[in-house]
Amino acid sequence: MENLLELKNITKIFRRASFEFTRERVVYALNDVSFSMDTEPKILALVGESGSGKTTICKLILALEESTSGEVRYKGIPLSKWLKEDLKEYRREVQIIFQDPFETFNPFYRADRILWTVIQKFNLAKDNNEAKSKIEESLEAVGLRPKEILGRYPHQLSGGERQRFMLARVYILRPKLLVADEPVSMLDASLRAVFLDHLKDFKKNGISCLYITHDLNTAYYISDYIIIIYAGKILEKGTVEGVIRNPLHPYTKMLINSIPIPDPNKRWKDKVNIDITQLQKTSGRETVKGCVFYNRCDYAMEKCKDSVPPMKKVENQEVSCFLY
Amino acid sequence: MRIFKDSPKFTTGVIIILVLLIIVFLEPTINNYRLKGHSSTEIGLYDISLLSSREHPFGTDTYGRDVLSLILTGLKYSLLIGFIAGSLATIIAVVSATIAGYKGGGIDTFITTVSNAILIIPSWPILAIIVLFVRKVDLFFLSLILAFFSWAGSSRQIKPQISSLKERPYVELARVTGFSDLEIMFKEILPNFLPYIFVGFSYAVTGTMMAETALRLVGLGPADIPSLGQVLNWALYAGALAQGHYFLVLTPIVILILIFVSINLINVGLDEVYNPRLKQITGV
Amino acid sequence: MNSILEIQDLRVYFRTIFGDAKSLDGVSLKVYEKEILGIAGESGCGKSTLVEGVLKLVKPPGYIHSGKVIYSEKNLLELEEEEFRKLRWKELSYIPQGSMNSLNPVIKIEEQMIDGIISHIDIPYTEAKEIALEALNSAGLLPDVAQMFPHELSGGMRQRVCIAMSVCLKPKIIFADEPVTALDVVMQKLNLQTIGELKERFGVTVVMVAHDMAWHAEVADRICIMYAGKIVEIGLASDIFTEPLHPYTKGLLEAIPSLERRFSKSIPGIAPSPLNWPNGCRFHPRCSNKMKVCEEIDPPLIEIEDSRFVACHLYGGK
Repeated sequence: MENLLELKNITKIFRRASFEFTRERVVYALNDVSFSMDTEPKILALVGESGSGKTTICKLILALEESTSGEVRYKGIPLSKWLKEDLKEYRREVQIIFQDPFETFNPFYRADRILWTVIQKFNLAKDNNEAKSKIEESLEAVGLRPKEILGRYPHQLSGGERQRFMLARVYILRPKLLVADEPVSMLDASLRAVFLDHLKDFKKNGISCLYITHDLNTAYYISDYIIIIYAGKILEKGTVEGVIRNPLHPYTKMLINSIPIPDPNKRWKDKVNIDITQLQKTSGRETVKGCVFYNRCDYAMEKCKDSVPPMKKVENQEVSCFLY
Repeated sequence: MRIFKDSPKFTTGVIIILVLLIIVFLEPTINNYRLKGHSSTEIGLYDISLLSSREHPFGTDTYGRDVLSLILTGLKYSLLIGFIAGSLATIIAVVSATIAGYKGGGIDTFITTVSNAILIIPSWPILAIIVLFVRKVDLFFLSLILAFFSWAGSSRQIKPQISSLKERPYVELARVTGFSDLEIMFKEILPNFLPYIFVGFSYAVTGTMMAETALRLVGLGPADIPSLGQVLNWALYAGALAQGHYFLVLTPIVILILIFVSINLINVGLDEVYNPRLKQITGV
Repeated sequence: MNSILEIQDLRVYFRTIFGDAKSLDGVSLKVYEKEILGIAGESGCGKSTLVEGVLKLVKPPGYIHSGKVIYSEKNLLELEEEEFRKLRWKELSYIPQGSMNSLNPVIKIEEQMIDGIISHIDIPYTEAKEIALEALNSAGLLPDVAQMFPHELSGGMRQRVCIAMSVCLKPKIIFADEPVTALDVVMQKLNLQTIGELKERFGVTVVMVAHDMAWHAEVADRICIMYAGKIVEIGLASDIFTEPLHPYTKGLLEAIPSLERRFSKSIPGIAPSPLNWPNGCRFHPRCSNKMKVCEEIDPPLIEIEDSRFVACHLYGGK
């Protein structure tokens, strides 16, 4: 059985201008990243902080950018082939929900235009009447009232309403794979659960989701599997219960340890260890030597500096760390 | 339509332009009536150098032409040239900036190089040379070359803004929905650009009008297309000021100034009302 | 405990073509010495506006409609701008939202701090430099940072620099607006701990505005919950979390997903608009404990027990 989605040895390099004339800065946004999702609908959380490369993965899967090397396969067929031969079908099956509800709408048009365009572009309705009823159905399914919402401009809607529009769009389109890039980080806390519940509903209806986030809490809430990514490299992957209850990689442990517990009786007892090397930004490394986490790792060994630890199967997870 | 209430500057600018446009619209009728079928540039229709009278409210010039009619015709051609040249310049600027800004890469480099070259080359002398040597310069050709030297500045200004709009999530959403590049450029990016395009258009109009007037004042340009600049030139060469023919000199100048001022008032008025940073009241 | 700042019925409105948007609509609050007071609430509740109002940083189309802010026995809102400027940063310091991105990119950190210090008090350059270095140290930053440019530091470190800047002149109160929002989780912990340490080291009072209840749980002594331009509950952090009184507070706490339980619940409905606050209790359209009186009368903020306030018809007076 072919996997739904497969990333094989993806590397993405950005070339940036440098202050030195002769040298061009090379930044490894992603370095030899591989993972897959099988055809059974599930939610896979890709957890990483800013600069980890998670947004780059999102753009690669949606064919908004190309990888420098490595391959993305959808249903076993390379992405490059999809783009050449059947772009429309690919776009139909692989869709996105963006992070920023304010910027995903073109301020010039009414909000419901995003629903009309998908119907038009993908021929989802025979005529205007059918289109209208599909639109109304999708709005109601996500908790919006068509009479109040249709005809409004984006600036007349709240952030929560706008993100629900995005859900309605997915509802109409019914992709096979939904890439959700931090969909709730800009929503109020009191609205997040209801949004995430919709993603769970989508899973029941056959839509797999790649949930990209920096927030372990929400990842824990809805996903089945989890991948931890840091500075362009995958450090740990496994079932969400496995990784959260029994984190193996020092970075995963550090992440879990840094999450504030909403209980004043359980405050952090330890202090964050600050080091001069932490001053530099962690996004995009310039070399591929050694483990990406070397500079910040409490357990760093000599060999961590020189070679990249391979992905190993340990207990229920896979880890990239020389401790194992 | 609130803008008329909120911005006296905008309203004033619009009124002036409308009045001028109405005059231009009525010009054929007025001139037909006054000149009884003759052209306003026809030499020797009347006695020369007459001073202001009931029959000739602005007098006549040294060629025996009625000044009022001449000025009306001049206004018509000035506005026409400004409008055509301005439109051409704006269209070229917008299209080039959009393609360069959105596509990037080689085509961007090409367009940028061309626009930079045009900006660096002293355009006015070349304009002058072209007009001098081309045998028959008609209205369209004149507008075309004026536009050619006018689009580069706007294009360079607009391009980086288009480049930045390209990164917006709603453009990415359009790509993910299967929009083609052309559709994105024209349906997603440009509509948000209309205010800038409008402002660019108004500056193109005034800019080309000024360039054209400058050409006339050194005696270049087709005499059978008598813009206000041409009228002014005739007046100065014929020594109108020395002869006390103030109308002949002042009126074209005043009208040109009115056109520039009104267009700028419209721009400033729009900015005051729609620029969020200047707003005293929100919610527009 | 002594009250160091008292806000009385502060109202900040915004002029719009539809009328005034009453973003802050009658907030009264006491801030005590040497405490960390957390102001919690979601977008649109008015918490940022509260800080801007107190520090007289409200810009048009916003304006301070009415109210008093008593500090050092004076009403700050009535002070002349010149007099108030002397207070700002020296005694009342402010870390605005997103300040880590507002550092001047072409000036070294040290220079920016010295510039700020000198513009507030008249001292020689060398003295100002000492103060700057000391401030960096108290925020746990190495002296090397002083010679760096903002872009050489990560977001979390820049935010720490902003915290350091705010304590330069040893203020009495620091107002921090969403100090850790845009940071990575580890940097969040670092900066929250730094803020907590400020109280230990300097005895400074911190008023921290943040929408994330978990952050308040980690550092705040007292928490004040805001909704729809008003305060709905105030109490000690431990009380608020173990025994939330107001239905909105309960809803907020239930909405927090955590690694301890795989559960999260949303509050139904959407936040109201400041152009049109609901009649009666502003939370009643979304409240599961709604009673008839809630639709008509807006419950006042009353003190149920010592330092425990709630604005809800479910609870009587002291």
